[in-house]
Amino acid sequence: MKTFIDKILVQPLQEVFQKLAAFVPSLLTGIVVFAAGLVLAWLVKLLVVRISKILKIDAACTRSGVTEALQKMAVKDSPAKLVGRMFFWLISLIFFVLALSVMRVPVIDQLLERFLLYLPNIFVALVVLAIGWFLGNFLGRAALIASVNAGLKAAGPLSKGIKGAVLLFAFVMAFEQLGIGRSTVIAAFTIVFGGAVLALALAFGLGGTDLARSFLEKRFKKPGDSGQGDGLRHL
Amino acid sequence: MSPGGLRPSIFVARPGHRPYNGLAEYASEVMLGNTANPIGISQAKIADLKNVDIVVGIPSYNNARTIGHVVRAVEAGLTKYFPGRRSVLVNSDGGSSDGTTDVVRAASTDFDSVMLDHRIGGFHKLVTPYHGVPGKGSAFRTIFEIAQKLEAKACAVVDSDLRSITPEWVELLIKPVLDEGYDYVSPCYMRHKYDGTITNTIVYPLTRALYGKRIRQPIGGDFGFSGRLASFYLTKDVWASDVARFGIDIWMTTTAVANRFKICQAFLGAKIHDAKDPAADLSAMLHQVVGSVFDLMEDYAEIWRTIRKSEPVATFGFVYSVGLEPIKVDLEKMIEKFRMGVRELAPFYRSFLPEDVLAFLSDLAAQPNRGAFVYPDAEWVRTIIHFALACHWKLVSREHILKSLTPLYLGKVASFVIETWESSAEEVELRLEGLCRSFERQKGYLIERWDGKA
Repeated sequence: MKTFIDKILVQPLQEVFQKLAAFVPSLLTGIVVFAAGLVLAWLVKLLVVRISKILKIDAACTRSGVTEALQKMAVKDSPAKLVGRMFFWLISLIFFVLALSVMRVPVIDQLLERFLLYLPNIFVALVVLAIGWFLGNFLGRAALIASVNAGLKAAGPLSKGIKGAVLLFAFVMAFEQLGIGRSTVIAAFTIVFGGAVLALALAFGLGGTDLARSFLEKRFKKPGDSGQGDGLRHL
Repeated sequence: MSPGGLRPSIFVARPGHRPYNGLAEYASEVMLGNTANPIGISQAKIADLKNVDIVVGIPSYNNARTIGHVVRAVEAGLTKYFPGRRSVLVNSDGGSSDGTTDVVRAASTDFDSVMLDHRIGGFHKLVTPYHGVPGKGSAFRTIFEIAQKLEAKACAVVDSDLRSITPEWVELLIKPVLDEGYDYVSPCYMRHKYDGTITNTIVYPLTRALYGKRIRQPIGGDFGFSGRLASFYLTKDVWASDVARFGIDIWMTTTAVANRFKICQAFLGAKIHDAKDPAADLSAMLHQVVGSVFDLMEDYAEIWRTIRKSEPVATFGFVYSVGLEPIKVDLEKMIEKFRMGVRELAPFYRSFLPEDVLAFLSDLAAQPNRGAFVYPDAEWVRTIIHFALACHWKLVSREHILKSLTPLYLGKVASFVIETWESSAEEVELRLEGLCRSFERQKGYLIERWDGKA
């Protein structure tokens, strides 16, 4: 009986305690590493916020519309603080990963490896979204100004449509980069985008034949005409 | 053959290239018109021409219809008013495909019908393509270079599409330089009261307030200048920039004024030409012209900041009125474009226009009564100042800033037309004087914000 209890209970417990005893130092080391990382992250955050203020990042973001966009997303922090916070979490994450690797648990090591290999995809997706956002804003604004100057009544919707199309394209590319629902997203995008283009072509080409003709005549008429419907010479 | 037995010498650049066996062969190839290098042609021709007094340049690109008249007028002007002076006409061509250069070579004046007494003069024609960035500025650069090499004392440039040019234009552009010691002669035209609205509402008053000289047509297109000033122009490194493409006129005027050359104006009468605006598109025109003015503000900030008031410049020529064709103005369309611009572009304007200007624009756009549609000078000046500041501080895309000025400009023009519809040309000129004074009064406002102190 005693041997049975030893075998079933005592020995496994002893093994667990031994493993725990072997693991505890690694755990403590990991905790220390992570704590050090948090302290370092906090210091880097302070430094980055200070540098951002010296470089006037806040003013630049206000001018370019980034601050306004963030406020629309209910982000109340200034861009400088946001950048500082990003660095804080980035360094914290790095030290968290380091702390986990110090513990030397095989399953955790494998998960970490897959996560680290996936990180560049996240980074690229964020870059694609950022570029898409800036490009969408720029092209939307260019379309708005051009269509207002041309006197098009649908200037606002046209501009929003172009901005939306660019952002949609950026989102699709980001999802593709992340490998999320690749074929579904691409198929959906192709259907929607292709359908919209086809619809516009049919509407304009078939339904607006006369309008298209008069539009082209107005657009390509001789430069001698002012295009403003009057005889003003502006130079 | 012109009176006095002098035959114009004409040299033509042709494609093709082979090496020359010494200068003699090169010179004979030049005489036969078989050389490949147009600059080399100029070099050979210049070697023959020494102590040239006057260079008149005509930049051209596909102007066969009109350039013949211009050449004849210049030739008659040089022969009539500057007999005994050595003169060269330079046609700087941008690769015309309609036979422009052939027209230049063939153009000659029947002096018997133009003048009662025969004059003897030295007149040469030089036809050369220009190189560099396509545009009027590159054509002018070639003319400046030739004038420098020929050590010309006085120069003039005239547009190749002028229909109203007379021989007297040559006298008026050259004589102040040759006889009175001026360095720069700006043109002054008799125009319809609603002609040149970009010049009247922006370029003239702004340039006057900035640089202190009341030059009425700073982007006239036909100028006189000294050889000294031509050489000075060549020292500037602008020939790969927008100056070479479309900003040469305002650049020449501003550079001469800002560098304290002796400036005057010459009244030339009506300017009638084949209307070839930089672009038929108004927003492109504003982008180019106003953009050039704003760029020059960056270059000469240290100079215009110190100037506090403007002064008139000497004007040569007999000022007279001419009957001008009435102009049709579509006020409804302009006001509608203004309203649409303010409505749709308000979020964009908010990134660089102050709240009080935005509030004024919104109120004006909501004004239903056409008679009460008034864009006061003070508000217009502040609008232009903030557009200049937006470009200076690079708040957003420069092209977007300049093109978004279009609806506001149309609003100002509409307001101006409504206000002066019953006014004579003289009354409109007085009204513009008020606008200029408004620009001058608010210069301090501009300077404070330019330096970032407000």
